[in-house]
Amino acid sequence: MPSKITAQDFAVSKTTSFLLELECSGCGKKFSFSKIHTYCPDCQSPLLARYDLEAVRQHVDRDALRQRHKGMWRWHELLPVQDPRNFVFLGEGDTALLELPRIGRDLGLANLYVKDESTNPTGSFKARGLAAAVSKAKELGIDRVIIPTAGNAGGAMAAYAARANIQAIIYMPKDTPRANIEESRMAGAEVVLVDGIISDAAGMAGEKARAEGWFDLSTFKEPYRVEGKKIMGYELAETLEWTLPDVIIYPTGGGTGLVGMWKAFEELEALGWLNSTKKPRMVAVQADGCAPVIKAFETGATFCDFWTNAHTIASGLRVPKSFADVLILEDLRASRGTAVAVSDASILEAQRQFGTLEGIFPAPEGAATLAALQTLVEQKWVDPEERIVLFNTGLGLKYLDQLG
Amino acid sequence: MGSNVLYVEDNPDNMMLVKRALEAHGYRLIQAVNGLEGVAVAENAEVDLILLDINLPDIDGYEVARRIRHSAKSALAYVPIIAITANALKGDAEKALAAGCDVYMSKPINIRELWARVEAYVPSRQ
Repeated sequence: MPSKITAQDFAVSKTTSFLLELECSGCGKKFSFSKIHTYCPDCQSPLLARYDLEAVRQHVDRDALRQRHKGMWRWHELLPVQDPRNFVFLGEGDTALLELPRIGRDLGLANLYVKDESTNPTGSFKARGLAAAVSKAKELGIDRVIIPTAGNAGGAMAAYAARANIQAIIYMPKDTPRANIEESRMAGAEVVLVDGIISDAAGMAGEKARAEGWFDLSTFKEPYRVEGKKIMGYELAETLEWTLPDVIIYPTGGGTGLVGMWKAFEELEALGWLNSTKKPRMVAVQADGCAPVIKAFETGATFCDFWTNAHTIASGLRVPKSFADVLILEDLRASRGTAVAVSDASILEAQRQFGTLEGIFPAPEGAATLAALQTLVEQKWVDPEERIVLFNTGLGLKYLDQLG
Repeated sequence: MGSNVLYVEDNPDNMMLVKRALEAHGYRLIQAVNGLEGVAVAENAEVDLILLDINLPDIDGYEVARRIRHSAKSALAYVPIIAITANALKGDAEKALAAGCDVYMSKPINIRELWARVEAYVPSRQ
């Protein structure tokens, strides 16, 4: 393994990407990937990337993927960037799947794991989606990007935009963790602090984008962030010897990771790469101060109501309504999963348990997955022998100002 | 004839999108391009449901909702109002509900959601 890795080193096969087209998740209309797209102009639903999976099956050896350089781009045939010179690489991907033996013992669970996304560049899972989206933006000739964020997506976008020499503006609530504000500024982005929450930031960013022609990288308002996030699902399958866990517990704000992983599992199934086609039950976790997905799931709704007076210490969960709410709910139901709301107090307690029992200092959103698991154990929704994967989406160190 | 939906909206692209979507499901769309016109149309026409943008060029959508709810035309106290906005001010959803709107939707308007929400109040004749 060479000590120096350039982005192009990842492209080891003749065809960099087997991207075929974009498809509207609402009405099914198809779009060319060679043009710049946001969301469906007809029904205003998110667009999803579709690949020539038959060609991938013919040309890519599943088991040889382990031999490639570590990182998200070793899956490049299933990512949307066509010229490896456009890969914007900071070391994202291939995060550890760690056993949680002591927490597992306390809960009576034999096979409990956490996928620790805090080791990504900028300390959160947001690096994956923004690496993909900024790389594709670079490929499409976009030179100005804008994003509303609860924090970590802004820091990640700033870093990847700087790396790609793309100008960046970030709208974030004024009570966003200071680390996110400073890391964004450090990467040269213009930061606009908003008196409100992410939905307010989204409104202002959208207005700026429309008025001045900035490209909006908001969650699901462009088709490629979800592609980077889906690689979490591919990595899980590979680590577990091409099987999938029984349960995945995931903190759900905008829902890109949940939708992305379910997309990965469907692609894996179509590719014939899974040794067992049993797919996991997906669990969406939200804070009880902002739980639109839980409310919609429990009432059988196909979309969420906008959650008013949203509040929680987990800023990444303070999303009153995801643009992809329909997809989140569809995937939860397709997986026979569920949705769980947790209190801020239980998030703080779970954060402490992660630290004292396993030496992991998770983001509050990551800690929320453990709080939700405790509820699911009490409800006997999970079996003691099941393989359960929690997601720690970021580094607790970025939230020190929240801890007081 | 389908139910009458009044859409108060100054953006022609949004107006066209919603018009196409609702007419495809058998609704008749009545258009108003500012707040005062919206109140006047609501008071003078048979309206079964109101879609209301918040950022309007004269009076804002909150004021439109308040005037409609306090109108001398008593039926307007109960007509469903769906606020649809890309507003950028803090707490706009809460303010819309406090002003008398029944539901808040954020832009971009997901057309499948719009159909479902309108249908929940006034069934289409399709």
